[in-house]
Amino acid sequence: MTDLIEQTIPVQHQDADVLISVDHVSKKFCRNLKRSLLYGVQDIATELLGGDRKSDTLRSQEFWAIKDVSFQLKRGEALGLVGSNGAGKSTLLRIISGLIKPDTGCVKVRGRVAPLIALGAGFNPILTGRENIYANMAILGLSTKQITERFEEVIDFSEIGSAIDAPVQTYSSGMAARLGFACAVHVEPDILLIDEVLAVGDIKFKMKCHRQLAKLRENGTAFILVSHNSHSILNVCDSSIYLSKGQLITSGETETVIRKYEEDLCLSGSESALGKLILPEKPAHESVGLDITAVFFRDEQGNLLEAPLSGEPAYLCVECKAHQKIDQANLGLLVTALSGENGLVQYITSNCDREDLTILPGHSEVQMYMPYCSFIPGVYSAKIYIRKGVKSFDIVESFRFTVKTNKTISRCLFYQPRTWQVIHQ
Amino acid sequence: MKRQHRLSSQLPQSIYTPESQLRHPLRLLQTMWRDLLASRELAWRLMVRDISAQYRQSFLGIAWAFLPPIVLAASFTLANNARVINVGATDLPYPAYVMFSTALWQTFVEALNAPVQAVTVAKPMLARVNFPQEALILAKIGEVFFNFAIKLILIVGLFIWFQIPVSWTVILTPVPLIHLVLLGTFLGILLAPLGVLYQDVSKGLTLITGFWLFLTPVIYPIPTEGTFGLLVRFNPVTPLLVTVRELATTGVVSEPFGFWLVSIITFIGLLLTWIMFRLAMPFVVERVSS
Repeated sequence: MTDLIEQTIPVQHQDADVLISVDHVSKKFCRNLKRSLLYGVQDIATELLGGDRKSDTLRSQEFWAIKDVSFQLKRGEALGLVGSNGAGKSTLLRIISGLIKPDTGCVKVRGRVAPLIALGAGFNPILTGRENIYANMAILGLSTKQITERFEEVIDFSEIGSAIDAPVQTYSSGMAARLGFACAVHVEPDILLIDEVLAVGDIKFKMKCHRQLAKLRENGTAFILVSHNSHSILNVCDSSIYLSKGQLITSGETETVIRKYEEDLCLSGSESALGKLILPEKPAHESVGLDITAVFFRDEQGNLLEAPLSGEPAYLCVECKAHQKIDQANLGLLVTALSGENGLVQYITSNCDREDLTILPGHSEVQMYMPYCSFIPGVYSAKIYIRKGVKSFDIVESFRFTVKTNKTISRCLFYQPRTWQVIHQ
Repeated sequence: MKRQHRLSSQLPQSIYTPESQLRHPLRLLQTMWRDLLASRELAWRLMVRDISAQYRQSFLGIAWAFLPPIVLAASFTLANNARVINVGATDLPYPAYVMFSTALWQTFVEALNAPVQAVTVAKPMLARVNFPQEALILAKIGEVFFNFAIKLILIVGLFIWFQIPVSWTVILTPVPLIHLVLLGTFLGILLAPLGVLYQDVSKGLTLITGFWLFLTPVIYPIPTEGTFGLLVRFNPVTPLLVTVRELATTGVVSEPFGFWLVSIITFIGLLLTWIMFRLAMPFVVERVSS
């Protein structure tokens, strides 16, 4: 029977499998509440008269929440949606679920959409869990018969147990979220929109959720997953989209997209700093015997390195000009992260490493070898000094440098060098 | 999973574009019909949910359906007996007249407020899930009828207590009653989208219904002359409410023309406002935070 049906499928089978098609979609919003309400009334009036809203142009105080975004989603695919807060991810989900109209472009959706943004939509705190399951699943589009069929599964999955006949207001937030999740996944939608909700519940329940999602996916449910946690996107989605300020920055293979996103995330808010810091030579009367003339990085081959890569080897080079021989010189390095909230991240002195540096008169280069650059991607500022005992020869107040990456490093404070193996016993 | 695999090409497709849905009237009517059918079960669920929640959190419970007409009737009967106000002769004993009419008037006001209330309360739901929004209004109308059914106990008690003779036409009363509720619903749906955006609507509604009550023959019989008489006559609630009352008691409908005129306007208006409601809601939802 199945074979028969499959033969009757038109030639463009590929096309028929597209569940969501988003085509050059834009959406504008207005931040001023009063004006936004006024525009709303205006738009309603134009809509009722069947007129043209001129939706492709911005009115005063409006901005594009989403601008010209296009993508497709096929059956059984999972798409990750990344972007910083306010990038337009939720707006995009709301357009796909048909809650709001796009201002330009066209969205085509096939099948039942269950939005997991709506965990526990329609839960009434006074009523019992049992009553709320019926109401919630009805809102998500099931008939009473279908709900009754799945009722036991929902209760089992949510692990609510005997509390099912207690009012929902007596539930802990985790219990309510579990019940909401259980309702949503048992609707068995064709498309599931997941907005940052897998963060609820304990680790055991989270794993159960992921298993259930995998099962749904095998059955052909398509996903759109919004998350700030790149690992959950990496684990679930094959392709991703990166939105920033409503613009589609990049799309494609999840790993590439996430890397680009994380790089931007770390670098945003501070100018990037690349290359070599060259200091002007000091006049002789200001010098106290040793001057730092340049600070930069080299790779293992000795080439100038614009930006060290996390996890790769690098040399930190401090070029100096000495007027006299200095033994037991002490080079200090204080690194502060300019992106992120960590502040001082590293403090190294050659003295602590029990290295006595001897600098001969003339030009020399002090090199610090890092077998693995352990900094995560971002922009840093280094304060570098050369001292002998308490006598300070020269200080570079701020050497700005950028660390980039060719790996995925998220939610890490530093890069951990490692190798893997399995030992069979 | 028990569900069988459906082919993608068999799945219902929805298309969202920026242009006005009025450009495709046939498609609009089709989706309206589809959504109305789809919303029946949901409406029932929501109604059961709301009614049980309402009574579970109340000590007096259904007494709240009885109390307003009783209190109103008591105060006006006192005022009338003390000659503070002077209403003419009514065809029913005065307390019964006021109580019966108030119950009807209340039902109308509930129907009038129902759409605005339903949509306002459901804001968080509207902002997150796409469901047939007709269900909200249907559920609320169901609640209005449920509340009237409870008031019916009071009315039946009233008829027995005052030994009011009942005409056979009483079996026809559901018709004008439904029309009365639909009139309220029609006006309510007209205001609902705006009511979510601006709070002025619900405030204004309270103000207007207070005034409207005095233009409706609820506490007095229909005046026949003067500007006031004209105003009462042009009040669309008058023919519907009076017809219910007349069918229940005397069996003689005094204003069949007015009744049918208002009814026809109600039905046409209801269809138009329904279309309007559908067109307006996406813009309203856009402005409701999720």
